[in-house]
Amino acid sequence: MHKRTMLAVSAAVLLASAAAFAQNNPGNLEKLGQFKTTGASPNIPTIPQGGAKAEAIKKNLTKIKLPHGFHIGLYALVPDARHMAVGPQGVVTFVGTRKAQVYAVTDRSKSGVAEEVKPFASTIDLVIPNGPCFSKDGFLYIVEQNRVLLYPAAEFFYESPDVVAVPVVPQGQLIPKDDESYNHTARTCRVGPDNKLYITLGQPFNVPAPEKLEGFKKLGIGGIIRMDRDGKNREVYAWGIRNSVGMDFNPKDKTLWFTDNQVDGMGDDIPPGELNRATKAGQNFGFPYYGGGHTRTDEYKNETPPADVVFPQVETIAHAADLGMTFYTGKMFPKKYQDAIFSAQHGSWNRTVPVGARMMVTYLKEDGTAEKMEPFAEGWLDENGEYLGRLVDVAQLHDGSLLVSDDFAGALYRIWYDGK
Amino acid sequence: MAQRNLLAVFLAACAVTVCAVRDGAAAGDAAAGRRKALMCQTCHGLDGRAKIPEAPNLAGQSAVYLGKALKDYRSGARKNDMMSIVAPALKDEDIDDLAAYYSSIEVTVAPPPK
Repeated sequence: MHKRTMLAVSAAVLLASAAAFAQNNPGNLEKLGQFKTTGASPNIPTIPQGGAKAEAIKKNLTKIKLPHGFHIGLYALVPDARHMAVGPQGVVTFVGTRKAQVYAVTDRSKSGVAEEVKPFASTIDLVIPNGPCFSKDGFLYIVEQNRVLLYPAAEFFYESPDVVAVPVVPQGQLIPKDDESYNHTARTCRVGPDNKLYITLGQPFNVPAPEKLEGFKKLGIGGIIRMDRDGKNREVYAWGIRNSVGMDFNPKDKTLWFTDNQVDGMGDDIPPGELNRATKAGQNFGFPYYGGGHTRTDEYKNETPPADVVFPQVETIAHAADLGMTFYTGKMFPKKYQDAIFSAQHGSWNRTVPVGARMMVTYLKEDGTAEKMEPFAEGWLDENGEYLGRLVDVAQLHDGSLLVSDDFAGALYRIWYDGK
Repeated sequence: MAQRNLLAVFLAACAVTVCAVRDGAAAGDAAAGRRKALMCQTCHGLDGRAKIPEAPNLAGQSAVYLGKALKDYRSGARKNDMMSIVAPALKDEDIDDLAAYYSSIEVTVAPPPK
């Protein structure tokens, strides 16, 4: 009897400690898909706003240079903030991370500063949930390292820790489990004008070995894939891409633009980063034969590249890490910026003199090709080469102002224009 | 009495040795290491606290360990997607300086709250 009690006690202890390590039962996803509750506490702890950290960031923002008439302010403190999706109601912005959280950022009064930041879908164990995107009709998709979940009506359900979640691509089916890596697995997504779900899939290597190429090409790893919104009819939309971490459709001509991060270890000044334009399905963007722009990789310099390689619209400064991007469709900014592309340079990680950590703007010509890219907001890299922030993504709010995420400071900034 | 003197000498010598190791000054220049750490900051932080999930904290890490790790990445004895790209460019002096800098950052630890 005594022994049995002991056993019960140790089992209880074991259970309790297991719960402390992995709070979430894998069965939770199944329950949520059936509109059942997991029994989690309805009180989700919020991320404190304000305080010394907010003051330090606000002070840093006074050093940011913008064109005349533009202003930047702290919108929210969001730890590890990566890619963003602004809700169709304009109330909640969902922010991914490269860790295990997604945050819901709320500005109910539309004051230009968020009132509340709290974890989203906290009863589901998420793995590198970097890429949220909305469909026009309000369905939120979040692409993780190796899964895609759909959250219907997320903008209404976000206040509970239990949100309805439906697998679009179940765990382990986005890429083969053996190809899971920490490297280049921050995904992004968009719902296209054809109502399909588009996903950027970075390949995990600096330059992949030749024997990996065939399998990668079949699955669109090192490319952009698309599928129906229920996950069916998956196909490779674009290939020959090293690691794209940002894309958007030009609302005017429906072409898909995307950034691509290029090869490391070839020196400080090559190869260039890329801003690309896919005009139709099936195009090849040159990697790994080209390591960025027209620079051939050492590993494939003796191979003949495909004849139909599509070269970038813009070659960007080497190693600046061009990530998230958005077409500006608002009316708040002057005419010059309307229909332009705003994109974020994360900043170099291994260049002897760091570059990047700034926001860029790309103007397009009448024919829909790029005219030029230039810096729009700068100052997150100080005179000593130390980072004050590293920018990840740009998203447009309903009033035409822009949000910019920073995963170094752990913040969202808002940029607005008043001409003064 | 003679024994006590010997002990005192031994303790003093020990203190000097420990001092030299703690400063990391024996091999590298921590101030030069801080400047060179601009190449490390995006992942490991200038404060030695990792900024990305896949990188380790380096603050307060032993200079011996840091030096060996960098040399192993440089020679290929250890491989990592990112470190194998940056380490081959480092000279012995760079490695000593970086190891001196990161080991010189003071850290305090506390047990997890009960």
